[in-house]
Amino acid sequence: MSKLRNRLLVAPLLAVLGLVALAGPASASGESVGGCMAELFTEAIEEAHGDVAHAAHDVAVQSALEKCFEAPSPIIPEVNEIIWGGSAFLILFVIMAKKGFPAVKGAMDARADKIRDDLDAADQAKTDAQSVKTDYEAQLADAKAESSRIINEARVTADQLKADLAVQAEASIAEMRERAAADVESSRQQAIADLRTEVASIALGAAERVVQSSLNAEVHGNLIDAYIDEVAENNG
Amino acid sequence: MNVLALDFPPVSHLFEWPDIFFNGTFYAINKTVLIYFAAVILTSIIFLVAGRKQTSMVPAGMQHVAESGINFIEESVVMETIGPEGKKFMPFLTTMFFFILFSNIFEVIPGIQFPANSRMAVPITLALVVWVIYNVVGIKSQGLGGYLKNSLFPPGVPKALYLIVTPIELVSTFVVRPFSLAIRLWANMVAGHLLLVTFAVLSAALWDATYIGAAAPFAMLVMMTGFEILVSVLQAFIFTILTAVYIGGSLHPAH
Repeated sequence: MSKLRNRLLVAPLLAVLGLVALAGPASASGESVGGCMAELFTEAIEEAHGDVAHAAHDVAVQSALEKCFEAPSPIIPEVNEIIWGGSAFLILFVIMAKKGFPAVKGAMDARADKIRDDLDAADQAKTDAQSVKTDYEAQLADAKAESSRIINEARVTADQLKADLAVQAEASIAEMRERAAADVESSRQQAIADLRTEVASIALGAAERVVQSSLNAEVHGNLIDAYIDEVAENNG
Repeated sequence: MNVLALDFPPVSHLFEWPDIFFNGTFYAINKTVLIYFAAVILTSIIFLVAGRKQTSMVPAGMQHVAESGINFIEESVVMETIGPEGKKFMPFLTTMFFFILFSNIFEVIPGIQFPANSRMAVPITLALVVWVIYNVVGIKSQGLGGYLKNSLFPPGVPKALYLIVTPIELVSTFVVRPFSLAIRLWANMVAGHLLLVTFAVLSAALWDATYIGAAAPFAMLVMMTGFEILVSVLQAFIFTILTAVYIGGSLHPAH
């Protein structure tokens, strides 16, 4: 393929080189005025059978020679240039219409279609991604709401539990305090009773000893009672 | 020819070229014809090479030239003058644009320096082809009667004015158009070639005489060469867009 391409690229260079070589310098021109006059005058002399003077004075010859000064009208097209120029355009048109134009235009259209398809696909992908994103965002929002709800519930439950426990604890403490107070009172009464008994016993013992050695039992009895009352007051 | 002490070649010598092949025959080949051949070869190569490989997503080189040309003709010529139904004329208009462009551009190619369209042959041939095409298109799309009626009696003109308008339209549409089309291209190329030759001859003469005096005409020669590149492209575009305008006028008569 690259060989063909190189050949195609070389072709215009060869064409241009050929054009330059064959066409000659840019200043080349057609027939000169002098050449035209020489040719016409030579013909006139031949027609006058070599009589140069006759040819030179012939009005028809002079008129013909004057035409050599007239440049051909540049606006009148040359037949050969019409034929070749028209054919060249026709050939180029056939090449372009059959091959060149459809190939290039086809490639352009195919590329435009591909770009359009790619853009459509990209749009579709973007829409899909947007939809997935929306779904994820919705799911995330749901999850957040759920977690928030669970936390709130837990917090309420915990508060409730805390309050219940506090009430329970206070009731237990009160009950324990009452029980302890009752125990203390009961122990105190018992202790007083025990002490009274003990003191009475001691006092009785002491009284016995006093009685054994005393003169007046009545006096000693009063002393014992007074002693017991005093002990009771001190322990009460 | 001596003009202001300059040896200026006769004008006919600037445009007439001796035969190279088939000397003296009606099918003789001269420099002008060779330039037409070169225009065919160059255009064919650009489009055949560009259309041969269709894998490149990013056009480059010849593919870029060919696609730019087609885009230009489509967007700036066909869609602007005919509309979507003018797309069937795209191959013809594209061929015409490139053929005229390459025939013109040889005006500034060193060693050749001759615009082939400064000869009347191709401009008048193409103009006559265009004349046939837009008339056939008009008759096909509107019918002979409708085409003549719409061309010669434009709607919206007061009836009394048809006495003046109809002869003008007749001459303008059916006689003058092809010649104006041809002469516009031909005359622009003739004028450009004459300008370049004038400054070239002036530069050469002043270089021989004074050396330094050649600077100004040479600078002008360089400027005019650039200008002639623009003219070559512009004339190809004008010829093509006028062709499209004429075809569009035949397809869509004035309402």
